[in-house]
Amino acid sequence: MAITTDAPARRSVTATGRLASWRTVDIITVAFLGAAFGIVFWGWAFAYEPLSKLVTVAYVPLTGLFAGTWFLAGVVGGLVVRRPGAALFCEVVAALVSMLPGTQWGASTLVSGVLQGLGAELAFALLGYKAWGPGAAMLAGALSAPLEWVFEVVKFPASWADLPVLGSLAGGGGWYAELVLRDKIAYLGALGVSGAVIAGGVGWLLTRQLARAGALSAFPAGQEVREARAV
Amino acid sequence: MRTARRGHVEVAGLTWRPVGRREPVLRDVTLTLRPGERVLLAGASGAGKSTLLRALTGMLGSLEPGDLEGDVTLDGVAPGDRPGAVGLVLQEPGSGVVAASVGRDVAFGLENVGADPAGMPAVVERSLTAVGLGDLPLDTPTSALSGGQTQRLALAGTLALDPSLVLLDEPTAMLDPACAAEVRAAVAALSADDPRTLVVVEHVLGPWVPLVDRLVVLSADGRVVADGPVEEVLDTQRDVLLAMGLWVPDEPAPAPLEVDPGLLAAVPSTAGAALTADPLAVDRTVRLVDGSTRTLRAATLDEPLGASPGDLTVLVGPSGSGKSTVLAALAGFLDPVPDGAVRLGAGEHAADPRRLGAPALAARLAWVPQWASSTLVARTVLDEVLTTSRALGRQGPAEEARALALLDALGLAPLAAADPRHLSGGEQRRLAVAAALHHGPPVLLADEPTVGQDRHTWAAVVGLVAAHRAAGGAVVAATHDAEVVARADRVHHLAAPPRPPQEPSTRVPLAARCGPLALLAGAMLGIPAGVVSPHWSTSLAVLAVQVLLAVVALAAPGPGRAPAGRARRVLLRTVPGALAALSTGWSTWWLAGHDVDTALTVALRVLVIVVPSAVLLPWVDPDRLGDHLAQRLHLPDRPVVATAAALQRVHTFGAVWTEIGRARRVRGLGVRPTRPGEVARHLAASTTGLLVRTLGAAVELAVAMDARGFATARRRTWWAPAPWRLRDTVLLAAAALPVAAAVLAR
Repeated sequence: MAITTDAPARRSVTATGRLASWRTVDIITVAFLGAAFGIVFWGWAFAYEPLSKLVTVAYVPLTGLFAGTWFLAGVVGGLVVRRPGAALFCEVVAALVSMLPGTQWGASTLVSGVLQGLGAELAFALLGYKAWGPGAAMLAGALSAPLEWVFEVVKFPASWADLPVLGSLAGGGGWYAELVLRDKIAYLGALGVSGAVIAGGVGWLLTRQLARAGALSAFPAGQEVREARAV
Repeated sequence: MRTARRGHVEVAGLTWRPVGRREPVLRDVTLTLRPGERVLLAGASGAGKSTLLRALTGMLGSLEPGDLEGDVTLDGVAPGDRPGAVGLVLQEPGSGVVAASVGRDVAFGLENVGADPAGMPAVVERSLTAVGLGDLPLDTPTSALSGGQTQRLALAGTLALDPSLVLLDEPTAMLDPACAAEVRAAVAALSADDPRTLVVVEHVLGPWVPLVDRLVVLSADGRVVADGPVEEVLDTQRDVLLAMGLWVPDEPAPAPLEVDPGLLAAVPSTAGAALTADPLAVDRTVRLVDGSTRTLRAATLDEPLGASPGDLTVLVGPSGSGKSTVLAALAGFLDPVPDGAVRLGAGEHAADPRRLGAPALAARLAWVPQWASSTLVARTVLDEVLTTSRALGRQGPAEEARALALLDALGLAPLAAADPRHLSGGEQRRLAVAAALHHGPPVLLADEPTVGQDRHTWAAVVGLVAAHRAAGGAVVAATHDAEVVARADRVHHLAAPPRPPQEPSTRVPLAARCGPLALLAGAMLGIPAGVVSPHWSTSLAVLAVQVLLAVVALAAPGPGRAPAGRARRVLLRTVPGALAALSTGWSTWWLAGHDVDTALTVALRVLVIVVPSAVLLPWVDPDRLGDHLAQRLHLPDRPVVATAAALQRVHTFGAVWTEIGRARRVRGLGVRPTRPGEVARHLAASTTGLLVRTLGAAVELAVAMDARGFATARRRTWWAPAPWRLRDTVLLAAAALPVAAAVLAR
């Protein structure tokens, strides 16, 4: 047998093999990354509290500017593994882990994780899982916001309480339900900007940093770095 | 497939060049291994030994892309054809551990091939007995095992799938001599009764010679340069093997590398000992599974210790005797009992290392932990060496020239501009010691500085330490290495502190007796309960119901000792919520025109949402969560297993974080809360360091899991069932009570 797996230079390197055929190392890495980000999220919650309260005094929707940190796991998970589902899976594991030691949002943390992860996943899907540059990362960060925004500005009807799965959402969400529409839209803007800059920009830089450290040699992001300077 | 004639391996013309490397790692390797043959695979550092093992598992190329030529077969088919046909034990103990308990961990391969759960315990028992762990109860936590036991557990995990070929990748490199002997005994017993082909990679050849038939030697450029009966190859290739840095039997340790003491900065001369310690003990508080905490004595130093200029003091004792712990206390990372038992310097300059700022500590003390890679702080090898000197304000061409000369003496000069994280383990070890000593600290604390190293790195490390002593530095080392002990001026024997027998707490809180899904759902029910409460008076009533329910959930009826610390645990987990309630309440009060009513409503709502999570979530067990997510909710098996494995290791992330912080502090890189720049740099470096280690662990675990059939596990079975019981329904009903109370009160 002679197998040559070369990747085209310059363009983003995509995942090896069939896009949807996850290798074990893909699955384990996303889970571990998610767990590590979960710890980061838990710590960030403590910093977020005073920061968000400071800007609350100025203009409530500005609190969204500090939320982008929570979209990091989805963006980085996607950038590292580059397979359908990676962003969602990574963000959900991170939410689960950050929830276990106790946060100020209790179990709703998990709901947020699913919604944010779905947003990032949507961005990578729109790009056909082919583009993994800084632009794609920022789009994924920005799109992590809208579903989370809906959860935060719209209260789920309490009448859902009798429904099987949706019941756990009954009356849930709506931390910012009292805002007027203009402020709600400003909040979406703040979330989106924060997602693009913190989750997208910083997430992309972090991924490149990890690749340079040699930690991503099993992944497309690591190959990009190695092809840039073959040894 | 269960015949005596199995395990026939053919490697034909194997060449492998990973993407991004100009030179192949393996070149035209051709080998035939006969069934039942026991082979020792040796070679220079970086010679592609581990890569060849990976090729024998059939996984080469699945982990990183590259050009692969040639063929590998096991009994005529590709090695990965039958899951578990090739068993693999990795170097680092615990890197392949999948589950929290011994029984479940050994059963992992059986689960992957869809074996009947009813038959699993018998196979698991048999596999554990084969490696000498038959006495361990199946529910023993995997985290409670010694390094040697963990390696034998890994071997048992491969045996459960009845492999035809067993591969061991430096299985004893990180173990002390007693644990290493246990592992070798298990390997010897393995090939005695049921012939399987065995390949061991090692660079300490002596202890393995009696256990193998054949020795294969790889050159640095990835070719087979010697292959034959072990005694014969040892005879004819002795000089070649020595030149590769291998430990050849009956050959004395190499002469230490001559390092000019002038390459290290002059150690400031002190009158008296550079470090003194009164007899001391170190206590460690551990959190037990039931939520209680226990303070155990982790280590004791029975005699006073004084490290004088030029002296080598060694700490010896079996594994678990607390050598590393005592060293960490000497460095000021852990609190000694009595307080202030450790002093750096003598007379009026004496200081408690815990009280010194990072640069002041670095000026007086250096520390090299057993994991050299965890102390790396810079982005180039040269910067790594200069880090501490720079932190102490010593800059300039003279410092740089001295650093380059030091790297040159250690054979690292060509790598001066390389990223230290890309170096081999031996290179990192030499670099770590050089970087610790470049600025001339009066004391060096070294944890197992020579363990697992080849002759070249051994000579370099021993030579560096000698140069440091010649320059007037004192050294305290924890070691098992007889050659190092022979060079010591003073030897302290440590013994593991006696452990008081632990009374098992037989009583389990009611919440802990429920399944993970019920616990999660119960925690979720806090959300509607909080949000539907229209006014703080309602929220208060709901909170009262929740507190009552919490008392019931945490009650642990039954005979025996009650679990301690339950209330404390819940309170601790409510802290983030309470802080958020306070700050949210305050900001609402401020915004809503100082309306106390609205503020209280908002604040209590937060508490109502958080309290059920704080009470119920601590009892979610990762393994059981995996069982239930897969068997009850029918979520896809492989992501579920991965998530459970990740949850299992979350607690180790904290230890990595602490270790990175220690390494930075002792290198002079401090964090003062008043300097935002320092804080930001520290957070960034620690986060990146944590992620790098996490990613490394993920790759290792993935390799170990694939060798046990995880790659092809489409229809898994499960070691433990996941029943939904009456108690789960009761918990859900109880957790719905606050929601009902809130709705009724509206």
